[in-house]
Amino acid sequence: MQRRRDLLKIAAGVAATSFLPKTIYAQTGTKKLSLLTWNIIDMEPLFKQWFATFQAQNPGVEIEWLDKKGPELPAFYQTQLAAGTPPDIVDIQGGLGLEWGGQGALLDLTPMLEKEPEVRARFNPEYLANWVFEGKNYLIPFYVSKSLLFYNKPMFKAAGIEYAPKSLDDILSYAKAVSGADRTGFLTLNFDWLYWPLFRMQGVDLLTADLKKPTFNTQAGIETADKLAKATGDGSINKISWTGRWVEPNGAFAAGNVGMMHAHSSAYFFVKTQGSWITPETIGIAEVPGFWSTPNSHGWAISKGAKNPELAWAFLKFVTEKTQAMQFARGRTLTTANGEVDKEFLAELDKNDPTAAAVLRTQIEHTDKLTGNWRLSDDSSVKNIVWAEMQNIFLGRRDAKTALAEAEKKVERELRRA
Amino acid sequence: MSLETRNPVGSAKRVGAVAAPASAPGWYQRRRTREAMLIACFLLPSLAIFLLYRILPLAWNAVLSFEFWSPLKAARFAGLDNYAEMFFEDDVFWQALTNTLIFIMASPVAILLALAVALAVNSDLKGAAIYRTIIFLSYPLMSVAVGIVWRWLYDERGGFINFVLRGTGLITDPIPFLQSFGWALPSVILADIWQVIGFYMIILLTGLQSIPQHLYEAARIDGAPASARFLRITLPMLRPSLFLCAVIGILNSFTAFDLVYVMTGGGPAHATELLVTHIYNMGFGETRFDYAAALTVVQFALLVILTFLANRAVGGNAGSVESA
Repeated sequence: MQRRRDLLKIAAGVAATSFLPKTIYAQTGTKKLSLLTWNIIDMEPLFKQWFATFQAQNPGVEIEWLDKKGPELPAFYQTQLAAGTPPDIVDIQGGLGLEWGGQGALLDLTPMLEKEPEVRARFNPEYLANWVFEGKNYLIPFYVSKSLLFYNKPMFKAAGIEYAPKSLDDILSYAKAVSGADRTGFLTLNFDWLYWPLFRMQGVDLLTADLKKPTFNTQAGIETADKLAKATGDGSINKISWTGRWVEPNGAFAAGNVGMMHAHSSAYFFVKTQGSWITPETIGIAEVPGFWSTPNSHGWAISKGAKNPELAWAFLKFVTEKTQAMQFARGRTLTTANGEVDKEFLAELDKNDPTAAAVLRTQIEHTDKLTGNWRLSDDSSVKNIVWAEMQNIFLGRRDAKTALAEAEKKVERELRRA
Repeated sequence: MSLETRNPVGSAKRVGAVAAPASAPGWYQRRRTREAMLIACFLLPSLAIFLLYRILPLAWNAVLSFEFWSPLKAARFAGLDNYAEMFFEDDVFWQALTNTLIFIMASPVAILLALAVALAVNSDLKGAAIYRTIIFLSYPLMSVAVGIVWRWLYDERGGFINFVLRGTGLITDPIPFLQSFGWALPSVILADIWQVIGFYMIILLTGLQSIPQHLYEAARIDGAPASARFLRITLPMLRPSLFLCAVIGILNSFTAFDLVYVMTGGGPAHATELLVTHIYNMGFGETRFDYAAALTVVQFALLVILTFLANRAVGGNAGSVESA
């Protein structure tokens, strides 16, 4: 009997202890800020330094930081949403921010940006506007990138080509000229809709301005898709363009037998470490014809379910301030969309690494011609539908007319469903 | 002397023991209750875990399949809408289902190969233990690593397979294994077979080694040829092992997510899409957990049916315990 009582006492003690932390927090006024970032663990020392500074400015704040690798973050974040415990702050890449914002996962930052115009003024307005859904700004830039064209100068020279392409036809004719044997002429990254500038430069858009109807099934759309399919069929375009993601296409270009690669700025730093042929003299850097590009930027968002939204906003202001943004730009060699920081950093980089500076300069130019993200809460569904049919065309399973008609029908159905 | 028998829950009682005194029923009843409680206490943790992590999610998933729900919106009753969309509008579902069935149909090929290997390494072959280890080595490898290795092997321009095929003059143009609609699925299946064959081999080898040798000796004395010994002794005796391999093959086909995800991502144009990758894409790619739940219910039903059929195919009593 005594034993049973002892057991009961122990159980009661354990139960009571489990409630203690909350009480302690309540008494000491400690606030917890949770932060989820995307594949950026290499910046741990800098993040730790930021946390210490922020905590010194905001006593009693405890920061919990979690970093997830590329494919893991979306699934993880959605699991946290389903569990009702989303992190206060989340770093989101590409068009996902718009989609999650549109679905109600994220806090509308517009009132904060309106209240503090000096914070809004930090950022390139086009990059900032890229995360507006139904008039609400859901993210602010963390670091930005968009697509551009890299080319292999020795291969161009050997084929007698002197200039960067000025149109899609140029791209395709150059690609044909440099390809042969184990060489291909052109490669594009396809994930996150990075291939879309190839259509946009031909005047093809995915949806009407009001996002109600598909607009890609036009003569121009069919012709563009046909041209790309033919070029893929004859080996001018490397097939990896339509099936690979990151490592394979970049690896192929780094191997030195691909004439051009359409990718975003991060690709340069990847291929540079792999391709011994890459020097300032051998790699060409250009905007794609028409200056269209697809952004693949990272932005900061606050979850709607954040426990401390004010504190989260204070943290976002802190990390996007000039000092922190500059530290990050230097640490990662990138652009931040903080106008002042990018200008100073590129001037600095011009002296140390002019090729990297030339690559990064394209990231802050022609930002009025960003394409590939639509303000839809079912953006992924629409993109997946179109992409599957595009693959059918490019890899020769279906003709462009049939496939685009099929895609149009499915997109209409999806837009109705949503 | 007393005999011990065992009731279905495993508690023992003695037969032929001295009869209990008049007050025994009360004492006996208490003892039985105490025993039952003890058994329940032992079972409770595992049952609780099973309920919490298996039964409840399964039930919740079934409920979810009849709702419109996302982590960000309140649930609304959807009736059969998700199922109607799946069966009548979703081409990818049918493609994924077909691919999954093809994947399953490849299991017998893997099992046959594994059986051949198991018979070889079970013989007096010199260095059989080494071969056994080498063949098994592929199994513990992470599927992600296997996927990456095979992706490079299949590469159209620099891949080893194309290099060998071209070098030996078997082909002139490289084969775009993972970029082609015709080749992509067989290529992924081949990589999967390569990985799992070692595991099947071990299961079958264990089965082979447990067959009593006197059966073979008797057959030899009776003049049965090798083929008859194989068909009349080896195969029937291997039935439980074959059933196990078949079930693992079915399960593996339904869960070959990582290999497909790494090698092709389900492409090109869903040519290698399996039900499991479609479920993942719907749930985590398009935030449609309700629709993904409906897909999961169909996959689960299919899994149960196929396992039942596999059981029937080997006589209907696989997994049962023989009593002495």
